[in-house]
Amino acid sequence: MSTSESQAVENLSPAAADSGKKHNYLQIKNVSKQFGDFTAVDDVSVNIHQGEIFALLGASGCGKSTLLRMLGGFDLPTKGQILLDGEDLGNQPPYARPINMMFQSYALFPHMTVEKNIAFGLQQDRVPKSQIADRVCEMLKLVQMERFAKRKPHQLSGGQQQRVALARSLVKSPKLLLLDEPLGALDKKLRTQVQLEIVDIIERLGVTCVMVTHDQEEAMTMASRIAVMNAGEIMQVGEPDLVYEQPNCRFSAEFIGSVNMLEGSLNEDHPDWASITCPDLNADLYVGHGLTGSQGMPCALAVRPEKISVSAGEPQREHNKFQGVVEDIAYLGSHSVYHVRLPSGFIVMANAMNASRHSDRFTWGDSLWLSWDDDAVVVLTS
Amino acid sequence: MIAKLRTLLPGKHWAITGIPYLWLLLFFAIPFAIVLKISFAEAQIAMPPFSDIVDFDGEVWNLTLNFLNYMYLLEDDLYVDAYLSSAGVAFKSTLLCLAIGYPMAYAIARMQPSTRNIFLMLVILPSWTSFLIRIYAWIGIIKNNGLLNNLLMGMGVIDEPLKILHTELAIYIGIVYAYLPFMILPLYTTLVKLDDRLLEAASDLGASPIRTFFTVTLPLSKPGIIAGSMLVFIPAVGEFVIPELLGGSEALMIGKILWQEFFNNRDWPVASAVAIVMLFLLLIPIMIFHNSEANALENK
Amino acid sequence: MMSTHKPSLFGKLSLLVGFAFLYLPIFILMFYSFNESRLVTVWAGFSIKWYGELFRDTQMMSAAWMSLKIAFLSASGAVVLGVMAGMVMVRFGRFRGKTLFSGMITAPLVMPDVIIGLSLLLMFVTLSDMVGWPEGRGMLTIWIAHVTFCTAYVAVVISSRLKDMDDSLEEAAMDLGATPFKTFFVITLPIIAPAIISGWLLAFTLSFDDLVISSFVSGPSSTTLPMEVFSSVRRGVSPKINALATIMVLVVTLGVVAAWWIARREEKKREIEEQMAAAEG
Repeated sequence: MSTSESQAVENLSPAAADSGKKHNYLQIKNVSKQFGDFTAVDDVSVNIHQGEIFALLGASGCGKSTLLRMLGGFDLPTKGQILLDGEDLGNQPPYARPINMMFQSYALFPHMTVEKNIAFGLQQDRVPKSQIADRVCEMLKLVQMERFAKRKPHQLSGGQQQRVALARSLVKSPKLLLLDEPLGALDKKLRTQVQLEIVDIIERLGVTCVMVTHDQEEAMTMASRIAVMNAGEIMQVGEPDLVYEQPNCRFSAEFIGSVNMLEGSLNEDHPDWASITCPDLNADLYVGHGLTGSQGMPCALAVRPEKISVSAGEPQREHNKFQGVVEDIAYLGSHSVYHVRLPSGFIVMANAMNASRHSDRFTWGDSLWLSWDDDAVVVLTS
Repeated sequence: MIAKLRTLLPGKHWAITGIPYLWLLLFFAIPFAIVLKISFAEAQIAMPPFSDIVDFDGEVWNLTLNFLNYMYLLEDDLYVDAYLSSAGVAFKSTLLCLAIGYPMAYAIARMQPSTRNIFLMLVILPSWTSFLIRIYAWIGIIKNNGLLNNLLMGMGVIDEPLKILHTELAIYIGIVYAYLPFMILPLYTTLVKLDDRLLEAASDLGASPIRTFFTVTLPLSKPGIIAGSMLVFIPAVGEFVIPELLGGSEALMIGKILWQEFFNNRDWPVASAVAIVMLFLLLIPIMIFHNSEANALENK
Repeated sequence: MMSTHKPSLFGKLSLLVGFAFLYLPIFILMFYSFNESRLVTVWAGFSIKWYGELFRDTQMMSAAWMSLKIAFLSASGAVVLGVMAGMVMVRFGRFRGKTLFSGMITAPLVMPDVIIGLSLLLMFVTLSDMVGWPEGRGMLTIWIAHVTFCTAYVAVVISSRLKDMDDSLEEAAMDLGATPFKTFFVITLPIIAPAIISGWLLAFTLSFDDLVISSFVSGPSSTTLPMEVFSSVRRGVSPKINALATIMVLVVTLGVVAAWWIARREEKKREIEEQMAAAEG
């Protein structure tokens, strides 16, 4: 799916239909950034709606951080425009933009107390002192840091520092909040809880937010929409479940979650079903919808491991069942991932919940049947 | 490092770059050009005591380059010997500083952070007290009826005083004494950043401590060795105070010669020529030093 | 990171020998400043008469005062230029002519004093001829010379600190609405303040201690302390100099120890606070 097609999809998104929330609040139009010969961001266009939390997801070097910095004003686009609430941001420096950023390293001013850190932004705008005091108090309550008001950053733990950084970036009620790898520095255990807390605060305030992360779990948990980025381009934009269940390209499918990628060629194409010849499976694969394509057209097929059922006996279904041998097992507590070798030599990953006790499960060398529903496969043509 | 946008720099960037740039250009770089110009002049009984190399007689500009000063330097053995001897003394002193300073820097780098800082302070402390006075201290120690000789004669080790003051040995003592901290500090800075896991890996792969030192530690401390060596060698070549106070009349150090040409002989052009040749000879070591500093700043 | 070990025997020995070498002359100097006898090598009883003589030597005292004034002003000038130079080197990225600038910042660190001194004097003479300024040599020319070579040292100290500093702090300030100018004074400067102070002290010491450059560029009424000591020493060894040395060593030692003690106390306080914060979670 090209970018304009995905844009067509997002324009129909129900979230945008909310009254009072501006549609296309932040418009990134054909933005590119070149550093000498190197193209960091390549003709990116995306529209972000007021109040949503939008994640730029990708590996390091994909251009997400550069794009974020351009939103913040720390770098200027080589080409293209950025419009916020209808206004072209142009060459405006960061201190003139109604945008605030929470930095990866928190960047709390070490020589100022928590209070002064939060008050800093308001002081630059020459807000009257009494108002500043009230506002700072509000923010401290919001992030539950009231009793740490007089402390200095080095007297706080990592999690506490992050809350102060968040408060500092929200105190000016910015039109746009930027988060740069917000949870990179925290322990795994702390992360999920903090993720939900941050989302809660941002949604309560109704702030539009663009975040950058390489952690797909973080993006899926926190964002209302995700843009998957690779080599300076946006590969796919959509809600987390959309991107996960219906990746539009190989990259998106492989980047998020695990996936089995199969190669095949179109065999029979009908209005409500199609079959694909797949050498890896030594049989035809059936999908429950038509594809527009010609006979022999090459396709990539993506099947998520959790969509595959494993059984000892042959499943009661007509299509999409294959026999194989357990080659490897990854025991992950709540579920196991079985690496099953098919007769063709191809290995398929299949998840199975460990609902039953140990003795009932498959083990190395066991022969078993894999099967999946007709609509469990996503056909990719790019 | 990607440079900041010009608009994000404090103040007008041309002013902040310009002020120190112009100052250094005017008072550091251009003066060398003046020295070059005067090295082509003739000494005169005048104020200032040199001739003009450029003059205008109403129609034609005349440039008179007097190469005699340089010929003089080349012909008179005194100068050639002095350059060679200065370089030799500086080189050997650098090696001595390295020999004494490296083990000290290594030992300090391996200490606990709290003890490390104390020892570092002890290394720096002497340099904060007057250089001149510390050299003067050695006069009292090594002169013929000085502390050392009195001690040795009193103990019966020697009958006659050892002539140390006003010899080349005294110059070595002086230079090593004065410049040792300048060798220790860059070495320490490099050694303290050395990743101990590299040493552990070498040991794990079967290398003995001595082998580990020569194949891992020493090569990795190269930046510190270069910086420290340049910090000692280059200024030592042009040293004046130490040869003047501790060295004898046969001690040929080019810094002392420059001083004498200027202050005693009042021959500014020859002094300038001496300086230009010295600068020329030191150009490559200075460039080596600059590169190592620039690299250190990049890699931090 | 180097893991910590107690020094090996060789290490301990080299430290012992090294520090003995560095400190014995200083101790000897101080010891004999209290010597009754003029002979600096024979102990004739305890006396502080040389300290009296030192303070009565008006030439020496006015030279000391001159050096203090010059050092104070030179250090201040060097810090201003050095901070600018440090910012240029670390924050300003590449620009045409940066290599020359970088060269001019590092070369003074190693350039022999005789070359700096001679070149500056000839510069002053030429300038005086051409534009009438500076009129003759004196405190001003010494100040200019000292600022010139001290700037390089200060620039190194400041550059190092700027490099280590998290520059997202400056970006954060600008993001919150502070102009770059304001950011520098409200954020950067306070954070690099310790480096500025140590740079100032370093420049002060270098200026106060300089002999060769001052000799070239000074004038008839601007004799510095090192120049005075040098001419005195050339005439022969005098215990007055020992007394001077002792005073200087004591002042510097007190200063360094005080600074170190304060720094250590701050560090300990920080460590405890950080641990408490981590424990609270």
